[in-house]
Amino acid sequence: MTVSRAEAKRPEASSKRRRQGSSRYSWSSLFYVAPALAFFIVFVIVPIVQSVRISFYRWDGITAATPVGFSNYVEVFTNPAMREALSHSLVLLFFYAALPVVIGLFLAGLMSRIRIYGLTWFRALLFLPQILSSVVVAVSWRDILAIDGPLNETLRAVGLGSITRAWLGDFGTALPAIGGIGTWVEYGLCMLLFLSGIASIDRSLYEAARLDGAGPIREFVSITLPSLRPQISIALILTITFALRNFDLIWNTTQGGPGTSTAVPSVYIYQDAFQNRLLGEASALAVVLTVLTLVIVGIVQLALRESPDRAPRSTPEPAQAPGKEERNS
Amino acid sequence: MRHSVRAGHRARFMSMPLTTSVVALLALSGCGAPGSGAAAESSDEDRQSITEEVTPEQIADLGDVTLSVWADQAEEGLMEEVVPAFEDEYPNVTVDVTYKSFDDLIATVVNAAASSSPPDLFQGNIGHAVDGALVKGDLVRPLDDVADVYGWEEGTGASTLDPARWNDEGSAFGSGTLYGMSPISEVQGIYYNKEKLEELNLTAPDSVEDLEAGAAAADEAGEQAIMLGNSDQYAATHIFSDIAATTQDPADIAAWIGGDPDATFETEGNAEAAQTMAAWADAGYFGPGYDGISNQDAIARFADGEGVYFVGGSWNGAPLNSEEFGFGSLTSGGVGATASPWHISSSTDAELPAIAFLETLHSPEVGQQILDTGRLPVVTDGVTADDPLEEQTLTALEETIEAGTQVGYYDWATTDMLNQMGGTLQEVMAGRVSPEEFTEQVQEVWAEAHG
Repeated sequence: MTVSRAEAKRPEASSKRRRQGSSRYSWSSLFYVAPALAFFIVFVIVPIVQSVRISFYRWDGITAATPVGFSNYVEVFTNPAMREALSHSLVLLFFYAALPVVIGLFLAGLMSRIRIYGLTWFRALLFLPQILSSVVVAVSWRDILAIDGPLNETLRAVGLGSITRAWLGDFGTALPAIGGIGTWVEYGLCMLLFLSGIASIDRSLYEAARLDGAGPIREFVSITLPSLRPQISIALILTITFALRNFDLIWNTTQGGPGTSTAVPSVYIYQDAFQNRLLGEASALAVVLTVLTLVIVGIVQLALRESPDRAPRSTPEPAQAPGKEERNS
Repeated sequence: MRHSVRAGHRARFMSMPLTTSVVALLALSGCGAPGSGAAAESSDEDRQSITEEVTPEQIADLGDVTLSVWADQAEEGLMEEVVPAFEDEYPNVTVDVTYKSFDDLIATVVNAAASSSPPDLFQGNIGHAVDGALVKGDLVRPLDDVADVYGWEEGTGASTLDPARWNDEGSAFGSGTLYGMSPISEVQGIYYNKEKLEELNLTAPDSVEDLEAGAAAADEAGEQAIMLGNSDQYAATHIFSDIAATTQDPADIAAWIGGDPDATFETEGNAEAAQTMAAWADAGYFGPGYDGISNQDAIARFADGEGVYFVGGSWNGAPLNSEEFGFGSLTSGGVGATASPWHISSSTDAELPAIAFLETLHSPEVGQQILDTGRLPVVTDGVTADDPLEEQTLTALEETIEAGTQVGYYDWATTDMLNQMGGTLQEVMAGRVSPEEFTEQVQEVWAEAHG
């Protein structure tokens, strides 16, 4: 107990030391981050500030802009096409974020339990969609889902010829079809994150659970899932931002069609900014989309944060747990 | 309360970007509204009109000159013939051509023209999105004097200049001051598979009625009547425009596209044409899944022998060989237009070489080269085709120009018309929107853009 108490104190002491150090060397450390910071300001901060500013103007990018107050924002919130686009984004959230996390969990759980010959090879293969250029992905899937593509050929071969269609060209199936492509792109990333998370779970927890008579499902629900909370949080943040800002997959498969059945905010941002030269409206929509993304990601982070009362169960390293308990009491 | 858990960490983490952004905001708000002062430098006073043809001596007096040019990638073949000949004629001029894909070009050329070092000569695109912005921003030189001196307003090419004419405000085009010239024209029509027509005992189509009758016969025989790839949303609008030009006066369509305040899209003719599109789609003339096939894939399939007809335009002709395919002109209302016009920058310091280059592009010799590289020239006098398909396409062009049905493209009407009309037409063809709702919605988009 004395040992663990000493350990518990140590982080505080070291953090105090670090704080002192940082204030003493702050100017020279700024020098080290200066190049990155300069890039960050020039290529991230300044464009964001410019976008916010332009969103209050009506501007074609060339002639002098006229200030229009909040009317671009009013347009965003009152235009029925925008509401429709946002509802499409919500559907895509399910396909781009929820589904990949579920599939990733399933695959990671499976791979961590069963000894598979050539595991590295499988892992690399399942991660492949993530590293392919999205244009390549879009073009390949366009062919797979085409009216005489391999998917329909397969359906016909197994006697399901009646449901074949141009999956990306049908008003009813275009959005789920694009969603399916997103799922395929994202689940590999989720799986890899979860696999690395599982690798850091103490094996003794599983042994203890087995001694208590837990089956594989019970083990997964009681140990693996709670321990993966940080990885799930990261996976959701990555996939949700990908879902909400996704443009390239949609543009290269349907361009928002047929009709407007796959149009999402980013498609309208592109059209307004680069085709219609309505930079004010495009900027307003981009700002709204950014805020919306931050809010949704914030909610996810809040919901999945490590709350203190749950800490012992989800702490990856059980060695520290007694120490923490000591401190808490 | 809810934020207390991580507030401390968060606040420290956030403070840095927050302060920098505030600083940046303050710095930026120092200048005026975006865009003010950008295009104001070129003024009308120091612009000189030419009264006589530019002579080689005048250009030779300029010393070494570089003419920087931005061109569509599709012009590369032509430029490789024209540029060396031009440099031979004017040895002190170096022509420096930058090629851009069409999409890249129209997305960037306006900004490039507004920059501090614009290209001297560049291609825009007819309509409000590109040419309109160039004219409004005072970024391109008026060309009425050039057209006058070189006689562009006479001969076969004359009417093809109209889409590059703009009113003083830059809000409507079709008449007014000339700002651009395109040496290349396009014509819409019906490509047909010769062998299949023969099997079906059909003759080459030269009207929408011929097409409709032929499509019905082809469909009955179990063939896909019309090959269509509409995932890009624009291919079907070309078929619609062919039909619409027969159900009303083509001049009315041209007026509407140009932005004439009295024009409207809510005409019986347009509703009827939309109805025809829906009926053809319903009858299966376009085959299954046309909204899931890209236009490029569709033309490739047609070239491989799928489908009896392909309703498109002369820009689709490259993959089709003249032994197997023919081109039916639509004298009853085939539409077409000029391709991307060339503009001279209003702040160029190579004005005379730029004018000389434009005149070279407008010559019959280059017209022949244009035809030889698979396109259609606006100057058709003294130009001869060397294969039957080319011959048919050239004839179709001459006939549509003569019939006055070269009304231009609907997507010139407003900057977002391509997506708006294309997307709604997809819904009409799927039976989700009625032809009347279609014309009403399209007119709404147009009215919004034209105030």
